[in-house]
Amino acid sequence: MGMISVNGLRTHYQWMRAKTSRPGGAPTVVCVHGIGYDSLASFYLTLASPLSEAGADVLTYDLRGHGRSERPATGYTLGHFLNDLEVLLDQLDVTGPVHLVGNSFGGTVAFSFAANHPDRVASVIGIESEPATTVWSEKMAVAMANTVKVMGDQDYLDWVAEHFGKHHARLTKAAGEGIGRTSIVAELSQGPLLTENDLARITCPVLSIVGSEGYQRDDLDAVSSLLADCRTEVIDGQDHSVLVQRHHAVRKLLLAWIDEHEPAWADGAA
Amino acid sequence: MTPAQKTAVLEEVRGILAEVLELSDVDDIEIEPDSLLTDDLGLESIDLVSIGAMLTERYGEKVNLAAFLAEKDLDEVIRLTVGELVDFVVSKLADTTVA
Repeated sequence: MGMISVNGLRTHYQWMRAKTSRPGGAPTVVCVHGIGYDSLASFYLTLASPLSEAGADVLTYDLRGHGRSERPATGYTLGHFLNDLEVLLDQLDVTGPVHLVGNSFGGTVAFSFAANHPDRVASVIGIESEPATTVWSEKMAVAMANTVKVMGDQDYLDWVAEHFGKHHARLTKAAGEGIGRTSIVAELSQGPLLTENDLARITCPVLSIVGSEGYQRDDLDAVSSLLADCRTEVIDGQDHSVLVQRHHAVRKLLLAWIDEHEPAWADGAA
Repeated sequence: MTPAQKTAVLEEVRGILAEVLELSDVDDIEIEPDSLLTDDLGLESIDLVSIGAMLTERYGEKVNLAAFLAEKDLDEVIRLTVGELVDFVVSKLADTTVA
């Protein structure tokens, strides 16, 4: 298990190195998970292995307050998460442009990182993710408040147990308690938010993977309309849990995407 | 692989699970072949990452839990038992033996 101090916080990360050699070297894929009961496991147990088998170096890490990383009481604005990613990459000596894959809030981090550090990002793959616009902030504030309210409600937990199993109910309860011990609800939607000029700095190719019944169901092309070079892929009949429930479909899209954007890599595969 | 060797793997897997569960004694909780990793033992997905690292450390790169789980659907991972975990390890060790 890799542990490193990032901004003074014990941070858990896992490399899964390329298991196949390709012309042009191994591209680096950095995975950023979502908030709540998400952790690096969502990527490590689904996409990391097939990506490494295909020839990519895959970095996964636990965001502050999640998984095995340290959980400070405060310090949960988007800016904190952005700075953590920058420091983590610096400390691990990841200097070249990387493919940033973000799940839900992790994609929001990825979009802002791409706006702030265009030279460090080869592409962004957002899974059920939106850039940090004012629209995102308003939706997030409401969603976070509602989430915390229901996570502590026994009737809701019973409903989760009945419909999704005891395992999900227990995770939901634990996530609710964890969130309640921090300031994440008050801080997360504060940004810094992206202006139109900021969004214009996201010039790298972007793949937006959304569930037809997910958080962007009212406008599946919402992300594409904000960005210069964005393709949208819709997973039919899927709600927000695209990554964990449909990881085979996501894998296929992701491998094809990296082939497309790492020409030497794709040639080697042919 | 003989039944005795399989039993030895089960005991080692039980030890690894007890360590991840931070049990001072492996007998503090029933870890049987039909125990569910999630509902019975209370393990979360991040614990599976730790278990995978410990299995690789013990048995080598050929025992790659992340690769094994990447082929499964979420429901299958949630229903994973200790016995299936042991069978996975045994199958990988057997592969190597044949090779």
